[in-house]
Amino acid sequence: MSESTRRPSYGAIVALWAALAPGHVTAAAAPNAQEILAASDAIRNPGQPFGLTVALIEYRDGKQTDSTTLAVYSKADPASGQFRSLIRFVAPPRDANKLMLKSGNDLWFFDPASKASIRLSPQQRLLGQAANGDVVTVNLAKDYKAELLAEEDTQDGERVNRHCYKLALAAVSPDVTYHHIEMWIDVSSDRPVKARFFSESDRLLKTAYYRRYQLQLGVERPTEMVIIDGLNPQWVTVMRYSDFAWREVSEQWLQRDYLPRFRPE
Amino acid sequence: MRALCLVALLATTPAFAADDDAAALGLADKTVTTAEQARDWHLFTEAAWNLAVLRATDATQQFERLSLGASYDTVVAPQWRVAFADRFDAWWQQEPSRQYNVNTLQEAYLSWLPRPDRIADLGSINTRYGVAYAYNPTDFFRTDAVRATVSADPAVQRENRLGTVAVRGQALWTGGSLTALYSPKLADHPNNGALDPDLGATNGSNRWLVAVSQQLSDQFNPQWLLFGTVGQPPQFGLNLTTLLNDATVLSLEWSGGRSASLFVQALSLPSDTAFRSRLATNLTYTTANKLSLTVEYEYCGAALDGDAWDELGRRSLPVYVAYRNYVAAVQDPPTRRRFFLRAFWQDALFNHFDLTSYAFVDTVDHSWQTWVEARYHWTQLDLALQWQRNDGAPLSQYGALPQQWITQVLARYFF
Repeated sequence: MSESTRRPSYGAIVALWAALAPGHVTAAAAPNAQEILAASDAIRNPGQPFGLTVALIEYRDGKQTDSTTLAVYSKADPASGQFRSLIRFVAPPRDANKLMLKSGNDLWFFDPASKASIRLSPQQRLLGQAANGDVVTVNLAKDYKAELLAEEDTQDGERVNRHCYKLALAAVSPDVTYHHIEMWIDVSSDRPVKARFFSESDRLLKTAYYRRYQLQLGVERPTEMVIIDGLNPQWVTVMRYSDFAWREVSEQWLQRDYLPRFRPE
Repeated sequence: MRALCLVALLATTPAFAADDDAAALGLADKTVTTAEQARDWHLFTEAAWNLAVLRATDATQQFERLSLGASYDTVVAPQWRVAFADRFDAWWQQEPSRQYNVNTLQEAYLSWLPRPDRIADLGSINTRYGVAYAYNPTDFFRTDAVRATVSADPAVQRENRLGTVAVRGQALWTGGSLTALYSPKLADHPNNGALDPDLGATNGSNRWLVAVSQQLSDQFNPQWLLFGTVGQPPQFGLNLTTLLNDATVLSLEWSGGRSASLFVQALSLPSDTAFRSRLATNLTYTTANKLSLTVEYEYCGAALDGDAWDELGRRSLPVYVAYRNYVAAVQDPPTRRRFFLRAFWQDALFNHFDLTSYAFVDTVDHSWQTWVEARYHWTQLDLALQWQRNDGAPLSQYGALPQQWITQVLARYFF
């Protein structure tokens, strides 16, 4: 052991002081931002194939304008670690039994009325204000490089002040819905608290609050996401998750040719 | 002063954002969700009022239509599934007054899943292939499948067609599948009876199909097809799509094989068998404000070309009519080349209001068809106004259609 490691140096003392100073994070003392993001992903995303129900309720100017119910089945790709999802429309009756298959940017839509499987571009939206990528499970740590900007207090979705890591996420893959993200993650629990999603031109696209934490599939997970449109904050989407269950999601399901066959019940 | 205003604006922006967030969270607090469960059955009814102006006389023609659609899809026992879908259309026409009905049995089959990756089906199966929008060369079972035309919109025609009685097997593996289907001859001729299952239309000859697909990369998942029927060499097919960027999808659909021309088939003339291709390729671009624009090029190598098409009507009107009726039944275009242009604007101008417009442009005889729809939808009700116009020389593809323009108002209720 060298002399310099037995006694704290002046530089180390300065670094320690800097790390303890509120609202300021130095590289030397900073926790690993990517690990924080991965821990936060693990809270949002179950570690095995699963299914859940998503109710999307849309508001404009304070009035409810739309309501959609989806059944979502997700499974992580063993190669990429990213989730692939099958989404079945449950309600309204007009859209019942329509299907969406999403695996990265590979996006297919199946309409049982026409028996047609149509490939969609990521820009084509089927869910009102919500992007197709909003309703499916995403491991952000796989698609974004995280940088720790600060530790700061912020109000969560229940209006409680939380001490959070503020992360800047930059897309490392073109197959993502958002170019960059600001994310607040609770320092004590790694829970995602709030996120702001931006376009490539740095335009705020939406703000999301993760809230209503409940014990689901063995972990306290957010069961509601409140999404506020970046351009018009009067456009609000509430995404409420229920019916969490471990589900066998066969590899064979996750392809275009299985869409006409998909009937999980 | 300007700088002062800017500073003041910047200072108040976070406060506004906090207010907006608080308001949004307040809405979420008050949100009540009801548990919607997936249903095995679905029903709709549609009522339409239709006014057309006839090209020959400028007289108007009026129709009313009432349609009922029902579907049922359920697991009846472990590994066994039943699927059923049917549609009934009733028309009332004025001057001359008549009423007629058409029932379309869209599917009724039993499915057996001995393993998650093996499936067998038996019954009336609505099998459809093709990635193009308005013309599907690989949709080999499209011949005579449409009993009731309720709209010129290709999307609607796809929804209202007969199933084919067949036995079908499918094997699946990661990223790929193999499907084999055999459809036997069960009747000699189509039957126009209102409630007839019309087996002569869908099972007028022995037919078979093999389809294979395999995911080659994130971008490519091609599908290859092989189709056979009595009296014709096998036909090959290919479906391919790829993303050009976040907003653009490119699709290509091709079929080819040795076959007689449509004209020879229509008039039962001595065979002129040669290798003929059919192609439909399109590009769909979607803007950030939900406007999707599609341009599709369609080619049918079995259809008549410029000179032969020009001369057909002049030489013999009965032959022209026989040819037009035949190509309409087999769902091929009468001429070799046309373009299809489509614009779809979801939530146009205001929420729940969709605008759709398309145009077919025949590049052989320079006729065209345009169609526009404005549709507003509530939770269970759609209300739509449609307008269609056919233009061109008297015996051109669209100029020969009896209606110069058609207006349709329709309401559809989903139960």
